[in-house]
Amino acid sequence: MLMGIFGSVVYKVDPLDIAGSPEHPPSDRFPLGTDSWGRDLLALLLTGTKSSISIGVTAALIALAVGIVIGVISGFKGGLTDSLLMMLTDVVLVLPSILIMMLIAAYLRERNPLFVSLIIGVTSWPWVARAMRSQMLSLKAREFVHMSRMAGLSDVKIILEDLLPNMASYTFMAFVLLLSGAMIAEAGLSMIGLGLTRGVSLGIILYWAQILESVRRGLWWWFVPPGACLVALAASLLLLSTALDEYFSPRLKGG
Amino acid sequence: MALLESEDVKAYYSIRQGYIRAVDGVDLVMEKGITLGLAGESGCGKSTLVNTLMMNVKPPLYLIDGTITLDGKVISEMDRSTLKKNVWGVLVSLVPQSALNALMPTKRIIDFTRDVISHHMAVSDSEVVSMAKKRLEELNLPVEALYMYPHELSGGMKQRAVISISTLLNPKLLIVDEPTSALDVSTQKQVLKMLMDLRKAGIIESTIFVTHDIAVLRQIADWITIMYAGKVVESGSTSDILYNAKHPYTYRLINAVVTPEPEVRKRGLTSIPGEPPNLLDPPKGCRFHPRCSEVMDVCRSTEPPLLETKGSCCCCHLISSGTREA
Amino acid sequence: MLLEVRNLTKVFTTGLLKRREIVAVNNISFDVRSSEFLSLVGESGSGKTTAARMILKLLPPTSGSIMFEGKDVVSLKRLEERRWYWKQVHGIFQDPYASYSPLHQIDRILHQVFTLTGDSSSDRDSMVRGALREVGLRPEDVLGKYPHELSGGQRQRIMVARCYMLKPKLILADEPISMIDASTRASVLQLFSKLREEYKTSLIFITHDLGLAYYVSDGILIMYKGSIVEKGSPDEVMEHPHSSYTKRLREDVPLLYKKWEGF
Repeated sequence: MLMGIFGSVVYKVDPLDIAGSPEHPPSDRFPLGTDSWGRDLLALLLTGTKSSISIGVTAALIALAVGIVIGVISGFKGGLTDSLLMMLTDVVLVLPSILIMMLIAAYLRERNPLFVSLIIGVTSWPWVARAMRSQMLSLKAREFVHMSRMAGLSDVKIILEDLLPNMASYTFMAFVLLLSGAMIAEAGLSMIGLGLTRGVSLGIILYWAQILESVRRGLWWWFVPPGACLVALAASLLLLSTALDEYFSPRLKGG
Repeated sequence: MALLESEDVKAYYSIRQGYIRAVDGVDLVMEKGITLGLAGESGCGKSTLVNTLMMNVKPPLYLIDGTITLDGKVISEMDRSTLKKNVWGVLVSLVPQSALNALMPTKRIIDFTRDVISHHMAVSDSEVVSMAKKRLEELNLPVEALYMYPHELSGGMKQRAVISISTLLNPKLLIVDEPTSALDVSTQKQVLKMLMDLRKAGIIESTIFVTHDIAVLRQIADWITIMYAGKVVESGSTSDILYNAKHPYTYRLINAVVTPEPEVRKRGLTSIPGEPPNLLDPPKGCRFHPRCSEVMDVCRSTEPPLLETKGSCCCCHLISSGTREA
Repeated sequence: MLLEVRNLTKVFTTGLLKRREIVAVNNISFDVRSSEFLSLVGESGSGKTTAARMILKLLPPTSGSIMFEGKDVVSLKRLEERRWYWKQVHGIFQDPYASYSPLHQIDRILHQVFTLTGDSSSDRDSMVRGALREVGLRPEDVLGKYPHELSGGQRQRIMVARCYMLKPKLILADEPISMIDASTRASVLQLFSKLREEYKTSLIFITHDLGLAYYVSDGILIMYKGSIVEKGSPDEVMEHPHSSYTKRLREDVPLLYKKWEGF
């Protein structure tokens, strides 16, 4: 992960430069070889990773924001508001997100990173909303919320002081899972040609690799590193969320 | 020969910060044919003690020291597979605290019965069913309960079913750990009556009943043993403990029991200052000394010896030093 | 009359298409006077906790009225009105751990009440410390700590300290001592008596323990499946019960001085 953030700063080579002979296996000059256009794959990988991560983070934040707002309001207010918001959530949940992403992506001619993040974020918030709502419902029934209510605190204060902080650990874990999902979604979009129109990302690299039939032609240095990177990123995030879960649970249960 | 004897048994839980000394040197002698009530507040070690006494000891709980003899056999030296085959279910059966929730929701009572029996006896399925049916009938329980799932039975019914199945192999000793704490009073009485019926029918000869509710023990126990902070502080017949307690903790604990009787109202409710100690680092000397109103210097430094008089025993310097009449 | 509850009912409905109704509290009525200890006795599912939540304005009733000093409690909507009410009528719950937000220091549970009392900030610290001492705690031992660093008994005493700061006219305590060690329960009970002596605070004591109710209260109400089935002084209820439920309860409670028949 660190590599993605810092790699492109360190390795100062313009990845789009046609710098060497095409389709060269790894060598001294090009540690990861070159692609069909002679571009340095290591440079591509580093920039691509950075790009994938940043799109993933943005998408995750968007989904998290929407999910939290809807989930919290729905859980706290209850009644009609709750029913309506949950119906909306269910509708979006049921829509096939891949198709929606594809439709929107195909419609937009120019797709910059922000748009890609938006597309992914807007289709992945429903489970977050449901999760936040159920957390909210269970917290609301806890006695300490009653105590704050009886102390005459306003609803807003109760949400800010009692409920949200106690949901913090949950939120963090939701973020980690969203991030890993978003990066894979980005790769998926890119591999079918609906990702960024300009720029590089892990998915884009795989897209080119796939289009130019690198698998069949045995150009392993082209498709294996980005794939491995993607898998490593997702796996490490999932491990992180498991570790966080272990860390938070006993602490919340009382030291 | 006593049914169950333990000598200087120590069982600790190993955790990151050190050892929780849940059972710290317990000498216990239990005769055949009685119902022994093991009482104490939460955290005193009574659940750990009964699990240890039948050698149900798994990490992080370790048997550090001591010997346990059950029916003449030294079970503290047996390995797990011998225990499974020859002791558990056959000599001694434990109905744990979480029994109500521990039943697999996808298995019916009859399946649970088969699991219990198959560990010990190779009998045909029809025999298992007839054994189970016979036992339920003996205890006036509906035979249909055998074919139900746990969620279809009420709390009281479940508890009685679990207890009756645990006694199918007629163990010499039945241990029940807080069997009625989660039940309402009427259901509790039904379960207690069933335990009495088991005894009257000669199915179970001896029982250890673990609870924090002393009023329940008054109704069903012949002998009461009081634990505090991992040690036995007093042991005696029910009437001795209730009306003639010697250890300061015992009589204060009895006076903290509240029942809807005018005698209780007259007596008043006492409370003991301070709180039960942390078993990671219990007080030196007598464990009760920080809270005892009659503490003497010796209590702070030396652990009191167990003194036996006329069958009952007490662990207190007041008694052993003769300051108070035994 | 301090509190008058008339025909209080709560019906929970579940499901959107196939509506199911659960009558948690069924038309209960009773009065509470100043300086009175009243016990609401019932087993789980009897509706006693739901009734308490309605009186504490944490749950709206389906029908019925609650009058506090002649004022209609159910219709109090504005925040200032509700604050006025909660200063006079306050609650203590069963679980001394769940009553605290695990992420905040315990000081917060005490400082929160200043929203209701509006004391000037210079007095606040001494008021908090004074209240803690009244309940037998040393301020240095508990201030600044998190809930998991204190014992159940200490946490519950802090809850009573909170009441000391409010000096309410009525406290509703829902099983306040059932989760504390037996050896320390009586001392927490005494705190309620102290509040009554000093400030004439009445208490609605909710419990499943008939013995406790008998010991502590001036009057007992027994609830069963949402309705009040018995009303009277402790001696009346134990010696001359009217309802069969009370009679059964009386027979099934294990006693210290008498043995059950056939046992």
